[in-house]
Amino acid sequence: MALSLSGESIAFFVLSMMAIGGGIMMINSTRVVHMVLALAFSLLSIAGIYVLLHAEFLAVVQVLIYTGAISILMLFGIMLTKHKVDEEDGWSGRLGHSLLSFLGVGALFAIVMGVIYRTPFAGKVAATKSFTVEALGKSVFKQYVIPFELTSILLLVALVGAVILAKKEADS
Amino acid sequence: MPVTSYLALGAVLFSIGLYGVLTKRNAVLVLFSIELMLNAANINLVAFSKYGLYANQTGQVFTLFTITIAAAEAAVGIAILFALYRNRNTTNADEFDSMKG
Amino acid sequence: MSDIAWLIPLFPLLAFLLLTMGARRFSDGVASLIASGAVLISAGLSVGVLIEKVSMVAPTTLRWRWLSLGDQSISFGVEVNQLNALMLVVVSVVSLLVHIYARGYMAGDRRVPAFYAYLSLFTFSMLGLVLSPNLLQLYVFWELVGVCSFLLIGFWYFKPEAKRAARKAFILTRIGDVGLFIAVILIFWQVGSFDWGPIFTAVEAGKVAPEMITLIALLIFVGAVGKSGQFPLHSWLPDAMEGPTPVSALIHAATMVAAGVYLVARAFPIFEASDIALDTVTYVGAFTAIFAASVGLVQHDIKRVLAWSTVSQLGYMMLALGSSGYVAGVFHLTTHASFKALLFLGAGAVITALHHEQDIRQMGGLWKTQRVVGWLFLLGCLAIAGIPPFSGFFSKEEILTAAWLDGRIDVFILGVITAFLTAFYMFRLFFLVFMGGKKAKVEETRVPRIMIWPIIVLALPTVGAGFLAWLPEHGFSHWLTEGTGIAAGPEGESPGWLPLLTVLISVVGIGLAWLRYGRGRVNSAQVEAEPAKEFSIHGLLSHAYYVDDLYRWVFVKPYRWISLALTWLDRYVIAGLVKGIGLLFQNLGRIGSTMQNGQAQTYALVSLLGLVILIMGLSAGRWFG
Repeated sequence: MALSLSGESIAFFVLSMMAIGGGIMMINSTRVVHMVLALAFSLLSIAGIYVLLHAEFLAVVQVLIYTGAISILMLFGIMLTKHKVDEEDGWSGRLGHSLLSFLGVGALFAIVMGVIYRTPFAGKVAATKSFTVEALGKSVFKQYVIPFELTSILLLVALVGAVILAKKEADS
Repeated sequence: MPVTSYLALGAVLFSIGLYGVLTKRNAVLVLFSIELMLNAANINLVAFSKYGLYANQTGQVFTLFTITIAAAEAAVGIAILFALYRNRNTTNADEFDSMKG
Repeated sequence: MSDIAWLIPLFPLLAFLLLTMGARRFSDGVASLIASGAVLISAGLSVGVLIEKVSMVAPTTLRWRWLSLGDQSISFGVEVNQLNALMLVVVSVVSLLVHIYARGYMAGDRRVPAFYAYLSLFTFSMLGLVLSPNLLQLYVFWELVGVCSFLLIGFWYFKPEAKRAARKAFILTRIGDVGLFIAVILIFWQVGSFDWGPIFTAVEAGKVAPEMITLIALLIFVGAVGKSGQFPLHSWLPDAMEGPTPVSALIHAATMVAAGVYLVARAFPIFEASDIALDTVTYVGAFTAIFAASVGLVQHDIKRVLAWSTVSQLGYMMLALGSSGYVAGVFHLTTHASFKALLFLGAGAVITALHHEQDIRQMGGLWKTQRVVGWLFLLGCLAIAGIPPFSGFFSKEEILTAAWLDGRIDVFILGVITAFLTAFYMFRLFFLVFMGGKKAKVEETRVPRIMIWPIIVLALPTVGAGFLAWLPEHGFSHWLTEGTGIAAGPEGESPGWLPLLTVLISVVGIGLAWLRYGRGRVNSAQVEAEPAKEFSIHGLLSHAYYVDDLYRWVFVKPYRWISLALTWLDRYVIAGLVKGIGLLFQNLGRIGSTMQNGQAQTYALVSLLGLVILIMGLSAGRWFG
């Protein structure tokens, strides 16, 4: 892989470092609010990756839903539950578990990377000119209209379910 | 940029998320990690909508759906977490151990 | 009548099933009625079959297909010829009488229905054995009678001696059975059939190599040796006297032990084809006869005397068969069944009268109190001693004639000596039990009438069966051999002095017994002192030539040492291994169960590891190849 220092590759490099760094920070930080911020940071970087991939609409959606809505939701989750000084006493009692997890995840990662780098991908690039929001809208509302409607039902069900689950029980 | 770089990024993020899911004691953090994994998958989808033999915008449509469903999942997940928290007064995943025979 | 011969064994089988299923529900009386009734029907049918066979000698065969092996088919069924028609009557009639007799003898026992169930099973097996048209079926029934014998010897299983005796009988006969089994296999290999007909044809046509015939005949004889208590597998039979007396009479005197003789008689054409086999049969028989008779001289247990006498008489039959005296052997088998059953049942009556005292040193003077039993017992003794006109005289004379005519002078002399010994020990028994002073410490009881009648019925053939030999123109031997291709006996005219000799020798034996035991001279102290003398001839005899001790030191003890070593090996090495493996998996299981701790994360981790291993396994070839 000859690394040509084009603008795209520099941008990819920076964005991916940010995404991975955010992920690692999320895993490693000791305070929950930091974690949320790190996650939001990581998700934001992914939005940048989407831009690089000519998916501007998705990038916007990513920012709105993930970095916006879901992060806020998670913050709510954190605020509404008590947390002890939190985390990292986990290593003491569950060393074997962590070690095994690390090995397992590492092995899976190695396998996936092996697959990725061994698979010959066709070097074609789509005609990104045609990747317009208009085309996306047409696609969603014409070709994929039934899944779209099903998604709306799913969201409704999730809404109702979440309300029922989160509602305080009458007697408690 | 070859497609492999994007796929590798996806793999890295996925692995970080998976590790978080497996090891973190805080259930909220487990939820975070799941989100990260979903995003890693999304990267793959979007990457294949640009690169590949039959590259087209369908990958983006799929991602759109995934994001929607992930949002619903996050909402339900948080709701379950609340319910559990109310019953057990903790969010530590290793204290939720009623799933055994 | 012969067409329904297959029904004969079925009635005892039915009785057995009924008694086994309803053992707890039937009272003793009902149980004995069921069993006796079943045997009565069988006996009636058997007599019918025999009467029919008298005029129509062609064998009747009924068979059904059992198995198909390629183009071979194995059948089962019944075959009725003269020999087994005769055996049928012997078996079923003796069995019937013993069934009736046991009602009296076993009265008061706690397991009478079980006893009758075993007895019925035995009768079924024995009748089935007699009727078998082929070797395989015969072998099946052969084993079945062995099982019944085991069950009945060990009927009083709470007595350690009975348990030991049952085991011993089972193991020793098993040695013989293995021989027979190998013979069966060899025959099927060589001839390709289990049926007697094809086997005999093949043997006569010379399709089987002479050495192979000899081998087969010898192996069949090994089976017969085990079953009929011939030397060297004889020692189970005296021990088998631990069983109830009716059982001794039926199984270990009249029928089952005669199965060995019957087998040799049935397979006689095979033996005829091999001189070596005939010689073996003769000499083993002759040796057993004199050997057992000499041991019988000094036994103290009334039933053991009779048991050794049985061994000796069975040897006599073998001797007859080996000297080509087919008719003589079968004839003696028949007469012996009647008089030996009589003697055993008489002994049972004596034992009952004396409250289960079996030691003849404690008996005496019964002639005055048990006059009927005494007369019947005397008849039996006269018959076995070979005094005319009782049946034993005729059959014994035929045997000696056969040995003489076959040119076996040595065997003839052994036979004559055995006859002398037989007369001596039987009358020793008779005089000690019935004559002299009363020694019993307990009050005698009256023998129930139900035990007397069967003995009286047995007395009829004991007295009369011998006259079969006097049927005009050798009617009996003609009838028995007609259509079978077997010679009735060696050619020639029997010497005229022979009957005189046998009678003389018997009378001398009886006379000596009278001098020694009968005149009231002998007192109990003298008889009791007898076994004290170790390492004398007497000691040698009363220990049965130390054959049992020899077996104990040569086979049982080394076997036990090997077993001990193997036990050690098993307990510490193999069991250790097994336990180790068990522990291994127990701990694996424990690890597995700690993994199931209810935490989703653990489960997810296990799934992940499983996935990784799965992928690696599936693509191992690609990654490393």
